[in-house]
Amino acid sequence: MKANARSSGSVPAGLRIEKRSDGLLAGRFFAMGSPCEILVADDNRRRVHTLIQLAAEEAWRIEKKYSRYRDDSIITIINRNAGEAMDVDAETAKLLDFAAQCHELSDGLFDITSGALRRVWTFDGSDRIPSASAVNFILPLVGFDKIKWQAPQIMLPEGMELDLGGIGKEYAVDRVHELLAAQRSVPFLVNFGGDLRADRIAPTGAWQIGVERPGTDREAAMVLELEHGALATSGDARRFLLKDGVRYGHIIDPRTGWPVVDAPRSITVAASTCVEAGLLSTLAMLQGKNARQFLDEQQVRYWIID
Amino acid sequence: MQLTRSKLFAASCTLLGVPAVHADQSDWSADSALTYYHESDGRITAVEPVVKLKGGFGNERTLDVKLTYDSLSGATPNGAIPSTRTQTFASPSGTSLNPVVQTYTTASGQSISERSTVYSIAPGQLPMDPNYSDQRFAINANWQQPLSRLTHLSVGGDLSYEHDFLSTSLNTTLSHDFNQKNTTLSLAVNGEYDSVQPIGGAPVAGSDYSRFQKNGDESKLDVNVMLGLTQIMTRRWIADVNISSDRMTGYLNDPYKIISIVDDTGNVTGYLYEKRPQSRTRNSIFWENHIALDDSTISTSVRHMTDNWGIHSDTLQLNWRLFNGDHDGYIEPQLRWYRQSAANFYVPWLSNNISYVDAASADSRLGALHALTFGLKYAFKTRGDFDSPSKGNEYAIRAEFYQQTPDQKMPGPGVLQGLNLYPGLKAFLIQFEWKFSN
Amino acid sequence: MQRCVRITALATLTIVGAMTTSGCSTLGVKPWQHDLLSRESMQPGNDELAASIDDHLYFSKEASSGGRGFAGGGCGCN
Repeated sequence: MKANARSSGSVPAGLRIEKRSDGLLAGRFFAMGSPCEILVADDNRRRVHTLIQLAAEEAWRIEKKYSRYRDDSIITIINRNAGEAMDVDAETAKLLDFAAQCHELSDGLFDITSGALRRVWTFDGSDRIPSASAVNFILPLVGFDKIKWQAPQIMLPEGMELDLGGIGKEYAVDRVHELLAAQRSVPFLVNFGGDLRADRIAPTGAWQIGVERPGTDREAAMVLELEHGALATSGDARRFLLKDGVRYGHIIDPRTGWPVVDAPRSITVAASTCVEAGLLSTLAMLQGKNARQFLDEQQVRYWIID
Repeated sequence: MQLTRSKLFAASCTLLGVPAVHADQSDWSADSALTYYHESDGRITAVEPVVKLKGGFGNERTLDVKLTYDSLSGATPNGAIPSTRTQTFASPSGTSLNPVVQTYTTASGQSISERSTVYSIAPGQLPMDPNYSDQRFAINANWQQPLSRLTHLSVGGDLSYEHDFLSTSLNTTLSHDFNQKNTTLSLAVNGEYDSVQPIGGAPVAGSDYSRFQKNGDESKLDVNVMLGLTQIMTRRWIADVNISSDRMTGYLNDPYKIISIVDDTGNVTGYLYEKRPQSRTRNSIFWENHIALDDSTISTSVRHMTDNWGIHSDTLQLNWRLFNGDHDGYIEPQLRWYRQSAANFYVPWLSNNISYVDAASADSRLGALHALTFGLKYAFKTRGDFDSPSKGNEYAIRAEFYQQTPDQKMPGPGVLQGLNLYPGLKAFLIQFEWKFSN
Repeated sequence: MQRCVRITALATLTIVGAMTTSGCSTLGVKPWQHDLLSRESMQPGNDELAASIDDHLYFSKEASSGGRGFAGGGCGCN
């Protein structure tokens, strides 16, 4: 997707480095369908350039490997091989193990095989919701416990598919975080389209994070303060269906095949890692009206916009 | 559902391949060094390996254990001055080099035979015992823990063993943070008890060298109190002041040091064992600063010390740590200047006209002198950088050159006038260091 | 030179006195300004192993010891 021309000193296509008004250097690029930025509290442009280049290359690597929109990604290959067993590499094995653990811990609410439901649900803001029979037709093709997974071998039954969209971006944030933290000891913040993680406290005080008001374009509904840790936001923003006054959010309960009703518009969760924050915000959204209660029980910091 | 934060945290740690420990849980590090020390003119050489292990037990509780082995050999001045004639001495060392059996009487009247080594010093040479050999093993441990959010306690002990010296000590420090941890006040107390077991027994202080009058083992005690104040001055400057006072009592002599007795014409007529007072009180004030520049750190320190032996000293030290572009390597030049005045009982030699002295020592380390140290260190980290102390392994090499020059000017009497009685000392050390942390 | 030294000692005592009496409340930084202070070389007591080897050398060749840490060397070398 990006031609990573590595001539010494030059910035690869699609990567910009700018100095913000608060003195932080920001590296910006596009990956995984979102605007990505890395903020670094270091005045040395060359050092920051090296860090941001590492970050962008890792983000693009993960995108290339796990994006379902790419023909050459592992996910697409696994999906094409449905019906046959195949071996996966160590990194993919760890992701599948994690997905299996979360599926069990969440009593089936977290399910990376739920992508098949996209075949009947299209969240374009219209009122076209599928019929009950259409959903019931697809439902047998959803369910993590239906696949055979034992590292390193996976066997997807025919017609089923995997989709790591639910944790892909959060995983990339955490990977880039580990990579940069091992390189330099300066405060930095990794932000991939709202899924973010901060290493150490910013030199100007806590990192100030604006959360968009759903339905608006970049209007901040609230500003959060983060010293260090991760934030992930689940929200229906532009992806929803509205029929008979009922708003159907785009996160579908894989057990029923139907989206959650009366869920908050946006849930932001703070945790130590981005995958945790992402998982908790998704599961909270799936609780619908009980999102707050769920998050209170999990004892995490959260912010909800109804 | 069965989801809990801790299970989710553990699962995400496995995914990301990081150990499932929180920042405040246990981590450990090891710091080891090998030093080679060498003095010029055939004097002392030493090899010293050291290993220090540090472990965290969560909640800011840490244990440090340090093991040291020190092996020294070579020649050390015995306190006598050069003469125009050959001088012969007997050193009660353990090694055999022309051993001679000497019989002598202890102060209590006992008769003891001992093997000792006889050595001769050519005319004009500084008398040095060439049989100096010592091996030292030491272990040192320190436990630190918080007593409350702002108060910390540390307790430590030391044990050091040589064939003729055993040292034990205990120390404790209490510190408290104020002003959002910008200020720290600390109080430390240290008690050290040393058992001095010179080979052949400790000589009777001030007695005639040729009479071999010996006592048995001796001991000394040192109690030290220190008040410290650390203050963050600005984002780039931290200062630290320590005021310290210590009192030593007991056997403070060097059991192997003697003083030449010289007549007016410059003939050496005999020697006496040195005799130092039986107590010493010292006070010192120490001030250090660390300043962070963008790509370097400057550290300076000043120390002023006075004691009731009449010695006062001043020490100035400067270290400048210059980082490379990525801050994962540095070179650090170091400069130290030191000056001390003579103890009031320091005498380079004794005139044979004097019949009695209360205290006397010809140990050049108690004389007026100044010293200069130049050092250079190079270090690098294999992972992470020097902006944060916790990460990565580190390797370093350091070289230091030390030169000590006596400020004593008085020429010897009579025929000794032409001789250099105060040769000074030149030494260098090379050290390799490596640190691992998880 | 001795006078210079006495003046330094007096100056240091004055600074310490001033620091403690003023409560040090005007000096210092906010918690998020500890970035440079967290460098190893900014910690008092940094490079402990090298410093203790040097202190051991100075203890055995000179008449002063301690100041930064404790006096006494724990060895028979002085």
